[in-house]
Amino acid sequence: MLQPTNVPDRPQRRVGAWWGPAVGISALGFYAAVTTEGSASREIGYNADHPWAVYAFMAALVGLMGYGFVRHAGLWLIGRPTPGLLQEIPHRLRNAARLGLAQDKVRRDRYAGIMHWCIFSSIVVLTIVTAQVAIEADLPFKFLHGPYYLFFSFYGDLFGLIGLVGVGMALYRRYYSDFHRIRWDERLEDHLIILGLGLVLLTGFLLESARILVTELHQHPDWAKWSFASYAIARGLDVFSFSEKQVLWLHTWVWWVHIAAAFGWLGLIVFTRLDHLFFAPINAFFLRTDSPGRLAKIEDIEQQEVFGVGYIQDFTWKQLFELDACVRCGRCSEVCPANISGQPLSPMHLIQDLKGHLANVGPAIQQHRHETGELGRELSSVALVGDVIKDETLWACRTCGACVQECPVMIEHVPTIVDMRRFLVMNEARIPATAQAALENLEMRGHPWRGTALERTTWMEGLGDVPIFDGSQEYLYWVGCSGSLVERNLPITKAVFRLLGEAGASFGVLGQEETCNGDPARRLGNEYLFQILAQQLIETFKAKNVQKVITNCPHCFNTFKNEYPQFDGHFEVLHHTEFLAGAMQSGKLVAKHTVNTTVTYHDSCYLGRLNGVYDAPRQIINMVHGANLTEMQRNLSKGLCCGAGGGNMWQEEVGERRVNHVRAEEAMRTGAESVVSNCPFCIQMFEDGVPAVHPEEEGRMKPFDVAELLEQAVFGPAAR
Amino acid sequence: MHIVVCAKQIPDPETPPSAFKIDAANNKVIPAQGIAPVLSQFDGIAAEAALRIKEANAGSKVTVISMGAESAQAAIKQVLAMGADEGVLLNDPAFEDGDSHTTATVLAAAIKKLGNVDAVFCGRQAADWDMGQVGLLVAEDLGWPVAIIAKGVAMGGAGLQVQRVLENGFESLETPLPAVVTVSNEFGEPRYPKLPQIMAAAKKTVTNWKLGDLGLDAGAVGKAGSRLKLEKLFIPEKGGKVELMEGDTPQAQAAALVARLQADKIL
Ligand SMILES: Cc1cc2nc3c(=O)[nH]c(=O)nc-3n(C[C@H](O)[C@H](O)[C@H](O)COP(=O)(O)OP(=O)(O)OC[C@H]3O[C@@H](n4cnc5c(N)ncnc54)[C@H](O)[C@@H]3O)c2cc1C
Ligand code: SF4
Ligand code: SF4
Repeated sequence: MLQPTNVPDRPQRRVGAWWGPAVGISALGFYAAVTTEGSASREIGYNADHPWAVYAFMAALVGLMGYGFVRHAGLWLIGRPTPGLLQEIPHRLRNAARLGLAQDKVRRDRYAGIMHWCIFSSIVVLTIVTAQVAIEADLPFKFLHGPYYLFFSFYGDLFGLIGLVGVGMALYRRYYSDFHRIRWDERLEDHLIILGLGLVLLTGFLLESARILVTELHQHPDWAKWSFASYAIARGLDVFSFSEKQVLWLHTWVWWVHIAAAFGWLGLIVFTRLDHLFFAPINAFFLRTDSPGRLAKIEDIEQQEVFGVGYIQDFTWKQLFELDACVRCGRCSEVCPANISGQPLSPMHLIQDLKGHLANVGPAIQQHRHETGELGRELSSVALVGDVIKDETLWACRTCGACVQECPVMIEHVPTIVDMRRFLVMNEARIPATAQAALENLEMRGHPWRGTALERTTWMEGLGDVPIFDGSQEYLYWVGCSGSLVERNLPITKAVFRLLGEAGASFGVLGQEETCNGDPARRLGNEYLFQILAQQLIETFKAKNVQKVITNCPHCFNTFKNEYPQFDGHFEVLHHTEFLAGAMQSGKLVAKHTVNTTVTYHDSCYLGRLNGVYDAPRQIINMVHGANLTEMQRNLSKGLCCGAGGGNMWQEEVGERRVNHVRAEEAMRTGAESVVSNCPFCIQMFEDGVPAVHPEEEGRMKPFDVAELLEQAVFGPAAR
Repeated sequence: MHIVVCAKQIPDPETPPSAFKIDAANNKVIPAQGIAPVLSQFDGIAAEAALRIKEANAGSKVTVISMGAESAQAAIKQVLAMGADEGVLLNDPAFEDGDSHTTATVLAAAIKKLGNVDAVFCGRQAADWDMGQVGLLVAEDLGWPVAIIAKGVAMGGAGLQVQRVLENGFESLETPLPAVVTVSNEFGEPRYPKLPQIMAAAKKTVTNWKLGDLGLDAGAVGKAGSRLKLEKLFIPEKGGKVELMEGDTPQAQAAALVARLQADKIL
């Protein structure tokens, strides 16, 4: 089987990253214990015995942090209650450990992953080192002597160096490389954070070296060697033959600078993005435990005063909290199809704009709430939706989830964006004309395809007897609006139909009785219409005793699977690629014919990223003799959206480029003869994009559904 | 300012051709199975025009009326959801199978019964039969001035200022009130209703008036009053014919084509 090109996608354990160093260091400790003679130790607070200063700084820091926390928390709490945050605690703790501490997402960018691990582990270990020094100095319990002291000296130096490596990598990225995303919203604090940390680490080494120079270098060189880096510096300084007085003078000054810099740097946590130190793991704990493909249900929608979020205080406090976690790393915008195509949406800026708005209007709202108990929606003179976040920004989102997937601090952009869309559509009725036409069509005709001349049964022509689902069959084959009402998709519907028959599946279709499941309405922000459509269809399903559904379309799949349970509609849902891959593996479906072709595979967002189905379609392709799969640069969970998601199938795009052109170009770059996908929208986007980007290579690459490829392999090329 | 919008519910113009059937014996369209009737497109635009005037002139009111079956309630609710204040359904078996003239008679009677009406807005034509008559005939019945096929309408001057679409340009005119205006698609798209209004509209009750309520004579409306006789209703046969031009060289073929087109008086 072909290996996907860039793999770090699926959850994987990198326990080695922690255990490797831990085992190594312990072994050294053991070595120190058996080889050292005498009881090594040093005078804590040597030459700089100003514990009052340290504790004063400490008290100031704690006070500052308390102040910062209260200030932030006051702003978060103007939001609505967040339901369910304390359910599934074990799952949440796992998330906090895996995503917060082990930083699984940070590592999706390898360079940043190493850099961040260096800095993070260095800060953690050096904090532990410092805490031990404090305990040794001020508590009766003494332990920093003998082998442990040497071992302690060793790992203190080691992690100081590791921290410097991290800082070096950060400096390189920020100041020398042409790495863009971290500069999309660069601020003074970014320089302070990295230079400040460098200063703390360097002064730490200098301090230690000065002490070693005076107390160990000549007296106990075998002890000094354990602080290997400081020892080297001390030997370097020794060359100048400074007097002891000079060294002590240096030591004093460096000590002050070191302490001030260290506490100053820790103080930055309160005022800068360094606060992610706390907020990232907490946000990992808050991260949703259900499918990212599911949008929240508005309960009792008819009783709402305001629909969706048009005022900052209508977000949940979790949504407000996560704004503070954003570190402006730009990862979300780097992968956002709208942003890549020069369209007016950058998820990072969206989050930052919301954060800025909260800081501007939050305090007044907070005070008003405190005094009157009212919501204070009228308090903001700028409109959240329209002024702070522009309409076109909200419309440009594909709900593709790429931003959510990459965000190292687990911010969930999509629900926030859709909440504001809901306000736009339901409360304000401000909708692009073409999207409005799709919604009206859904209301009037139960499908989004305005102007179609096809009927829901047109695809059945020439297929003989198509079984209508009556509750006696095992599966309902759900064709969907696109599968029946859009010309290009009919061959796919037919292919799936024939393959299901060939595999011996017991199934039926609904034909004329299909109506839209509501996905376009929900993604376009009309939750009310979605709820009506969903409830109707769930009733139909229940009346017909539907238990298992096979869908043509990943959007139908996602809605049935992840969203219908919100309305008490519980069905077993399979995408056709899952069913067909299973049928092939169990030998019910055999690809007898060779199809000599090179293909590239496009992961649709709703099957791939949002539902984790990456393998089934690839397995099918790989089981077709002669089909040669070449992956695109961006694939699997890093796959780029085709441009149609989130209701953009029915919108005119604004911006420099169209997303489907960008993606079509990536597909063509593989040199494959066809781009194979699994979604009626993707197929349409490629049908439009491929000829548009390279008109001179007309016909070189054709878009197909996996089922169309398989149809040829099962029934022979003449099948088409 | 009180504006009445006349809104007609019609068979869905987007009914797939394969589902469109007629009853040739009775000269009637057979309603397509499972395809709900819709508000005639131009009437939504007429409603939009009325609502914009309402919004620009405090204290205004918009009433929507429709003559049709019980199902026409949906069309009325749709205009109410857009922001109209009241709705009246004119539903009586006696109204059935009329023509533009009898429809206008019924609508005009309802408008008179409403009283205090300053203007009536119709669509430029109903999107099913495309007669474009009712607006004019209502004006005739009421004895009011009428401006048809408007792309713009606003309060001003003597009453209303209207921009009309002409074949090769526009015409601006002014009319005193009360008046009738028929609104064209050039006016712009009807608004998407806001959810709070949809919910408010769902709660509103639509007034129902029958023949007796309007004080009309059964012989003047519906089939009985109809002056237009429908001779034959049929779906035209669609077909194409291909004729290949003979000739040994492209030049000869082109000459043959020109001759053929000249013979058909196309060139
Ligand atoms: C051949 C033929 C067959 C017919 N068959 C039927 C039939 O099967 N069922 C049926 O119901 N009628 C039928 N009618 C009558 C039809 O209702 C009237 O012709 C129609 O109401 C007026 O003509 P129009 O639809 O072309 O309207 P137009 O004159 O094109 O309409 C212009 C405007 O008048 C207003 N208007 C028109 N009709 C109404 C209405 N009913 N209520 C409120 N406002 C309105 C609207 O604002 C509309 O935009 C038939 C008419 C003809 C000529
Ligand atoms: S969901 Fe996709 S399109 Fe929307 S902001 Fe995120 S990355 Fe961009
Ligand atoms: S939202 Fe997440 S990914 Fe985007 S800039 Fe902020 S921290 Fe980075």
